[in-house]
Amino acid sequence: MAEKPLLSVRNLTMIYKTRKGPVSAIDDVSFDLKRGESLGLVGESGCGKTSVAMALLRLLPDNAQITGGQILLDGMDLTTLSEEEMQNVRWKRISMVFQAAMNALDPVYKVGDQIIEAIERHERDIDPAEARKRVEALFHLVGIDPKMADRYPHEFSGGMRQRAIIAMALACNPDLIIADEPTTALDVIVQDQVLRELRQVQKQMGMSMIYISHDIAVIAEVAERIAIMYAGRLCELADAVEIFKRPRHPYTVALMSAFPSIVGEKRPLVALGGEPPDLLFPPPGCRFHPRCPRALDICKQQQPPFEDIGGGHYLACWNPAPVAEVQS
Amino acid sequence: MTPNGIPLVQVTGLKKYYPVGGNIFNPGRLKVHAVDDISFTILAGKSLGLVGESGCGKTTTGKLLTRLIDPTEGKILIADEKNNLVDLAALKGKELKRFRRRVQMIFQDPYESLNPRLTIFDIVAEPLAVQGIGTVLDREVMVARMLEQVGLTPATSFMFRYPHELSGGQRQRVAIARALVINPSFVVADEPTSMLDVSIRTGVMNLMMDLAQQLEVSYLYITHDLAVARYTSDMLAVMYMGKIVEYGPTEEVLHHPLHPYTRALISAVPVPDPTFKRGTPEIKGSISKPINPAPRCRFFERCPIAAKVCEDNDHPPLEDKGGGHLAACYRV
Amino acid sequence: MTTAPAETAFHIQEPLWKIRLRIAWKGLKQSWALFTENKIGLVGLGIIVFFGLMALAHPILMHTVWEPNIYDPFIGNDPTILQHPSPPSARHLLGTDPVGRDVLSQLMYSTQSEFVLGLLAAIVTVTIATSVGAISAYFGGALDAFFMRLADLINILPFIALLVVLTAFFDFGMIELALLIGILSGFGGTTIIFKAQALTIKVKPYIEAAKVAGGSDLHIIFRHIVPNLMPLAFLNMMFTVTGAIFSEAALSFFGLLNLRMSWGIMINTTQAAGYLLGGWKYWYLIVPPGLAITLLCSAFYLVGRALDEVVNPRLRRR
Ligand SMILES: Nc1ncnc2c1ncn2[C@@H]1O[C@H](COP(=O)(O)OP(=O)(O)OP(=O)(O)O)[C@@H](O)[C@H]1O
Ligand SMILES: Nc1ncnc2c1ncn2[C@@H]1O[C@H](COP(=O)(O)OP(=O)(O)OP(=O)(O)O)[C@@H](O)[C@H]1O
Ligand code: SF4
Ligand SMILES: [Mg+2]
Ligand SMILES: [Mg+2]
Repeated sequence: MAEKPLLSVRNLTMIYKTRKGPVSAIDDVSFDLKRGESLGLVGESGCGKTSVAMALLRLLPDNAQITGGQILLDGMDLTTLSEEEMQNVRWKRISMVFQAAMNALDPVYKVGDQIIEAIERHERDIDPAEARKRVEALFHLVGIDPKMADRYPHEFSGGMRQRAIIAMALACNPDLIIADEPTTALDVIVQDQVLRELRQVQKQMGMSMIYISHDIAVIAEVAERIAIMYAGRLCELADAVEIFKRPRHPYTVALMSAFPSIVGEKRPLVALGGEPPDLLFPPPGCRFHPRCPRALDICKQQQPPFEDIGGGHYLACWNPAPVAEVQS
Repeated sequence: MTPNGIPLVQVTGLKKYYPVGGNIFNPGRLKVHAVDDISFTILAGKSLGLVGESGCGKTTTGKLLTRLIDPTEGKILIADEKNNLVDLAALKGKELKRFRRRVQMIFQDPYESLNPRLTIFDIVAEPLAVQGIGTVLDREVMVARMLEQVGLTPATSFMFRYPHELSGGQRQRVAIARALVINPSFVVADEPTSMLDVSIRTGVMNLMMDLAQQLEVSYLYITHDLAVARYTSDMLAVMYMGKIVEYGPTEEVLHHPLHPYTRALISAVPVPDPTFKRGTPEIKGSISKPINPAPRCRFFERCPIAAKVCEDNDHPPLEDKGGGHLAACYRV
Repeated sequence: MTTAPAETAFHIQEPLWKIRLRIAWKGLKQSWALFTENKIGLVGLGIIVFFGLMALAHPILMHTVWEPNIYDPFIGNDPTILQHPSPPSARHLLGTDPVGRDVLSQLMYSTQSEFVLGLLAAIVTVTIATSVGAISAYFGGALDAFFMRLADLINILPFIALLVVLTAFFDFGMIELALLIGILSGFGGTTIIFKAQALTIKVKPYIEAAKVAGGSDLHIIFRHIVPNLMPLAFLNMMFTVTGAIFSEAALSFFGLLNLRMSWGIMINTTQAAGYLLGGWKYWYLIVPPGLAITLLCSAFYLVGRALDEVVNPRLRRR
């Protein structure tokens, strides 16, 4: 690999300790992210997407415990940093748009002031006028009239609130922005606007982005590379076009053939049977094997390694689907 | 059963206005026109998809059609057992209760639509019990058969569990079983799969379509997701601020949208194909609440092709623009 | 594809009531498991059981080892002791009261009526609050307005003071007192809590599903709303018991109730005979009933708190 990645996650493993036992929310997850690259993280509800994001920022709840692996940001291992050192990483180097964040704006303060406060929290010595100017520039960047900075959250529509949240995440000019389902609660037209804005800003500022969603259509639009997550593990990771045109993991294939689209011919949708496993008792071997149509005996016993099968296409499967099972 | 092709549901001039502001002494002149003079027909054996943005009146329409709320005005004609159209909006008491066997509803949230303190058997048997159909033993058999039909097999292992012991997809199957167990001919499904995960959602969608065929029911399938509507509806109605702005065969509407709103909506839908480049939706501003809307096209403020005729006249009528494809726009 | 199922295995082997009984039992076991995780609740339950045994033991003791003439809680008197009250001895484990009656016997006898009072008041309160709360929430309108204003009115009046006034006009025994407390708190503050809960249930989609099925108002109230109020009802019963026992003690202390014997009366007798100011010397007259009141009240409160964790999973530790 020629260029050194901005972020390199190595064998990250994390559990939640609960009364019933450990919940294996992240298991042996590895991926790299280049500077300026956008990575889409797709998976069903409860597969551990938010947990990965929170682990990167070390914003985990008390009962969570990183039990192995490294998170290297420019070579610096975030898992070993002290809480104080981590403060300098959060927001300034890695920032996040939280799931359902648009409802998190405080209704009693002006939106602009909330962003200024966030800036001041992270850059203690900043001049207030400077911060103010930056907010206006940010609003302009995400397509909100800068005058709106003096309005209260309830005067914003859902889409505008979400953009304000994105502006807040951009405030300290981070290297990496993690967006956790930023458009899930929005109508398609508004979602389209927010996605456009986000993509444009990301390109313009040369940031890296991890975009988390359960919607592969949205991911197809924003991500250059796509990671498919299932039950706490990555099963496939490749360039967007590669994932969509030549999916190899049976789960990826199943997702593609279950997903409806309004363009192209109307091919029948094929449902995937069964239910995702309870992460308290993850199945042994490949975690997908109970639902997998291609499962072999080995799948039930041994975890398939997550390996590059060529051209940066990573795959964890003992019996991958033949190439080109999905036509566009 | 109503033979295919004849009208099963015929809605004319349906309105629902909600008062806003004001108080009991001064009811206020402001009204939300949640559903504002809509008319459509559903033929037996065909399902109608109802799509639109949040707040456009989809759920209100669904609740009107199941008489969960009373219309401000309008007729809701639904075919009875002898295929005579009966006005549901005018029914009361015993007659209304009896007619409820014909019309059922499936709700959006599988976690809230099943009473947590009842067993699956009690939940699915409720319509039978309320309507006094069969003895307890008959109901057991009917419920068990229905559960197997919705894919909860073996039925006996599900019947005496509680909702919290089931996954979201399984719960939604229970909700489907409850709606279909008394053999309705028309079912309003309000976003039945929007809270389910992709891998589960398709299974539930396919199941609903299979059952529609087997049991000869028609759906009013409410969704905000055009791609889902494509797979669940023969006909498609697009709603905007309480009005139906476009209506026609689903594929026709999706591939040749006429109304500028439908065009914008369709071009905003993300496509699961990274090589596909879709256009930018042509639309201004954002949706607002239809509170005492001005007497002109509801879409006027956001319309990219609006002209003087749109401003000077009342909301355009929903007209046939050829081949049973209807649109409410002066400019197409 | 779903295929039309064959006519197999649909007839459930067991009768329905047996199955229902079994799942009710299973549910109970699960709740018990959750309840036992909380040691506080177990302590409370232990205390309640202890007092329950005391109540049961009293008639047995009276029939067997205790000589009625000496140990009767109302008219007993031990002629072998010259001066009453007498401190604890082998014959009278907690001593005798100013009239020469056995304190332990009084204490045990009173336990029965305290239980009757507490549980009856709790059942009445919860029955009223559940029905009124559910009806108010479901129908709304004038009915709701009436019940809520009534509740406000009762809430504004100070509870004990109201009881004091009422006792001046009517003769109150344990049962009457229980009913009165039940009615006052049932139509009062408790109703407001139940109505608030019922309102959140009323808007659930399963209520709409029941309407679409053709369910009547009564069907919806009793099949859907009331069962979902039950956890709250159990909880509230525990707290009502505490309130009822305290009220009785307070009223009896002032001699306002027409009771022959209760923990409150025991303290009242001591007070009337002027021993309350006698300091620690007469501790055996004050401590047993005082401690009994405190213990039993806290026990029900503790059980209530533990039940709260069972019915409100949010409060549970992970
Ligand atoms: N604080 C916690 N304690 C215990 N288990 C947790 C905790 N937070 C999450 N989990 C569990 O960890 C798993 C992963 O959760 P996570 O929120 O990361 O999923 P997700 O992919 O973001 O899902 P969604 O799409 O619903 O947001 C789930 O099974 C969840 O139940
Ligand atoms: N009970 C009510 N009182 C007042 N206004 C209401 C009431 N119910 C709905 N409305 C209003 O009527 C309009 C239509 O609401 P409706 O719930 O039918 O929309 P919807 O299309 O189902 O939206 P969503 O996609 O968010 O479910 C909205 O503006 C809503 O605020
Ligand atoms: S490893 Fe085996 S079970 Fe897992 S996806 Fe591949 S074939 Fe299926
Ligand atoms: Mg998440
Ligand atoms: Mg709705």
